[in-house]
Amino acid sequence: MSGIGWHIFTFSALGVALLLLFYRTVRLVRLPLHLRWELAPIPHEKGKSRYGGSYLEEYEWWRHPHRKSFFGPIFYMAQEILLLRAIWRHNRGLWPLTFALHTGIYLIILMLALQALNAILAATGVPPAVLGTFRAIAAVLAAAGYLLGAVGAAGLILKRALDADLRPFSSVARYVNLAFLLAVFVSGIYAFFTVADFSAEVSLFIKGLFSGDAATGLSAPLAAHAIILILFALYLPFTGMIHFVAKYFTYHEIRWNDTPLDKEMEGKLGRLMGQPVTWSAAHAGADRPKSWTETAAGEGHEKAGS
Amino acid sequence: MKKPGLKLNDISRNAAEPLTEINLDELTPLPPPYDKIEEQPGFKRLTEDQAERLVHNLDGVVSTAALPEPQDKEEEEKYVGQFLSGMKKLLSKENNWTFLQPLLLSLDYCAQCQTCNDACPIYLASGRNDLYRPTYRSEVFRRLVEKYARPLGRLRARLSGDDIELNWATVSRLYELSYRCNLCRRCAQSCPMGVDNALLTRELRKLFSQELGWAPKELHEKGTVLQLAVGSPTGLRPDVAKDNLQFLDEDFSEATGLDIHTPWDKKGADVLLIHSAGDIISFPESPISFSVICNAAGISWTLSSEIGGYDGVNYGLFYDDVQLARVARCHAEIARDLGVKKIVMGECGHQHKAFMTVADRTLTGDLNIPRESSMTFLENIVFGGKIKFDPAKNDFPVTLHDPCNVVRNLGIVEPQRRILRYLCPQFREMTPHGVDNYCCGGGGGLSVMSDVNFTDWKVHVAGRMKFQQVLAAFADRPGPEVKKYLCAPCLNCKLQFRDIFEYYGVKEKSGIIAGGLAELIVNAMTGLKKPFISWEDPA
Repeated sequence: MSGIGWHIFTFSALGVALLLLFYRTVRLVRLPLHLRWELAPIPHEKGKSRYGGSYLEEYEWWRHPHRKSFFGPIFYMAQEILLLRAIWRHNRGLWPLTFALHTGIYLIILMLALQALNAILAATGVPPAVLGTFRAIAAVLAAAGYLLGAVGAAGLILKRALDADLRPFSSVARYVNLAFLLAVFVSGIYAFFTVADFSAEVSLFIKGLFSGDAATGLSAPLAAHAIILILFALYLPFTGMIHFVAKYFTYHEIRWNDTPLDKEMEGKLGRLMGQPVTWSAAHAGADRPKSWTETAAGEGHEKAGS
Repeated sequence: MKKPGLKLNDISRNAAEPLTEINLDELTPLPPPYDKIEEQPGFKRLTEDQAERLVHNLDGVVSTAALPEPQDKEEEEKYVGQFLSGMKKLLSKENNWTFLQPLLLSLDYCAQCQTCNDACPIYLASGRNDLYRPTYRSEVFRRLVEKYARPLGRLRARLSGDDIELNWATVSRLYELSYRCNLCRRCAQSCPMGVDNALLTRELRKLFSQELGWAPKELHEKGTVLQLAVGSPTGLRPDVAKDNLQFLDEDFSEATGLDIHTPWDKKGADVLLIHSAGDIISFPESPISFSVICNAAGISWTLSSEIGGYDGVNYGLFYDDVQLARVARCHAEIARDLGVKKIVMGECGHQHKAFMTVADRTLTGDLNIPRESSMTFLENIVFGGKIKFDPAKNDFPVTLHDPCNVVRNLGIVEPQRRILRYLCPQFREMTPHGVDNYCCGGGGGLSVMSDVNFTDWKVHVAGRMKFQQVLAAFADRPGPEVKKYLCAPCLNCKLQFRDIFEYYGVKEKSGIIAGGLAELIVNAMTGLKKPFISWEDPA
């Protein structure tokens, strides 16, 4: 691929991926306010989250300020994201493989971020020795990331295929996702061990992308890896693998959302409750179109549908 | 132990035959003296007549909620069409704004890691029967949504092989399977993604109720509908509830030597206390205890004899948003009209969750009256210094069952424990406890659902892990000669324990009874003629 070809391919694929990710995130954000459905333990409960307590443990809780911890949820999520806390606690047999896969992903992201920083620093005249150190660190991250990721992805494919608990519930999409990830890691390993100076070439490539140096080219193994990686980035927002976004909502907006009704919510709820409801059961207002408020205010002693 | 694997698409095959069956020797074992299967009453099988009349194609278990067999293919297809239409409404902002975000997230982001299964007491107790995995019904539902309610769903299902047919077998089994879950949310707690199988189960129940008009009679016709029409799912009308409690006031006054008086419909009282009417009938010591405690503490309080006002249950929480909102509004309107400063929940777990949190955002304007748990209300009284206690009166082994809806769902963990640590010298915890507790097996409305052979299932399967916990908590004093008290501050939990204890003869074999928290408080009060708590059957 020519230098300009790499520019177009890389930026258009990443651009589309980001747009799709943004679109799916916005769709989640714009879903209507829902009824409360919190679940203990809630880590923002200051002094109580250790045992799962909430502000509702206070006598006449509405007379007290809700004491919230800023760091509690951050600490909880850091453990969840970096150490896969829930899997460790509740599914220890799966943890080594999924931890390897996730750590592999994190290390590759870190490696790419370091290489991007390296490219920026190179343009600002930072001494070559510093840049060389960065590249050396990036090389270690890459090797560890690719190997861990490959072990994790391959192991999870095998576990899903062989484990009687997982096999009946593993959809085809789940295998496709893991196979794609495996391709990313395996192509990375191949490039790492076949390219003369993997880290330097990645660095040069990223620098070329930033600087608009259309002459930038890649060796065949690294080019193959880059294409697979970029295609994976494009594929990602179409899948459930964007659970890193969804998790914000499942945790912060549902499990940990214990905000009592307030004036701002009342405005939103007024609009939601004014919407027409079309459920068909007799007790749910099937006789004529009604708003949610009218339906909920109904007597409710109509005969049940069947 | 483990049955051969059940496939997801088995649910749509052979509508006439059960997918699995329950055999007692496959269940997780109980400790002595409850380990001899041959001494247990056994699992009732359906009679030929019942098998002919009632749909029983899931696990051979049916309740009085069982569906009648459809007359013909046309009727089956009508129900399949209604299910499809309901599924689409469930995904719409207009019809399901109440839970759309949680529903979509739980549908779209399951990692299929099966982490949640071992959190489920029903799955564990069943000997890990695939049918009872929290993921089984969720994954079937998820794939039906993908196939029938999403763009290019049928094509994608065919290409991927993740294909489940939506037919009468699927619809009827999913309905029954949605009532094999306690909605305890232990599975949700363990999920790394935050996916909530209990929510998906409730959404399924809601679809059946709000679109097809299918819900267990005990929850709908004899539940919320009766409550809104007559006053209570127990059938107690206002004047009868009032008469019953006045009679109980006199009866217990005589027995205890206290002057017990329960105030009704007192306008401008500080507190409206809403018990479960089931307590008045089945566990009268509970409402009487509250009367004793409130009066002794000098609280300005009242009960309400308005329709719905003397029964805090809200079965809508288990199956239907419309009924949930109607019952909650009914309670709030009564409190508003009485002009009380706050509403206190009785010892009823799902009342806590329905009224304090889930229905919170439906109680707008002047219906948003402060609502408080009886756990904090009682704690404030016990440690307030107005009542004198002698903890030595409670010197018998006591353990605490955590109602899921009070503890896991609301985070009210410590107030009841502080009371027990103070008033019960032999208090001991179960393992696990607090927010990690096991459900009693009656959660999600199951405690009020009963025969044909549903009670057998509740006792043997749904309540099994909890029963093991209770026995383990008293393992140091196992015999009947030591009287023991299981504190279960929730009507539905007590009903479930009553079923379990009667079934296995627990009082006779182990000396354990189940009761509420308020009874222990009254039992520890000084100045009573005789102990308030008794292990003897009432004469």
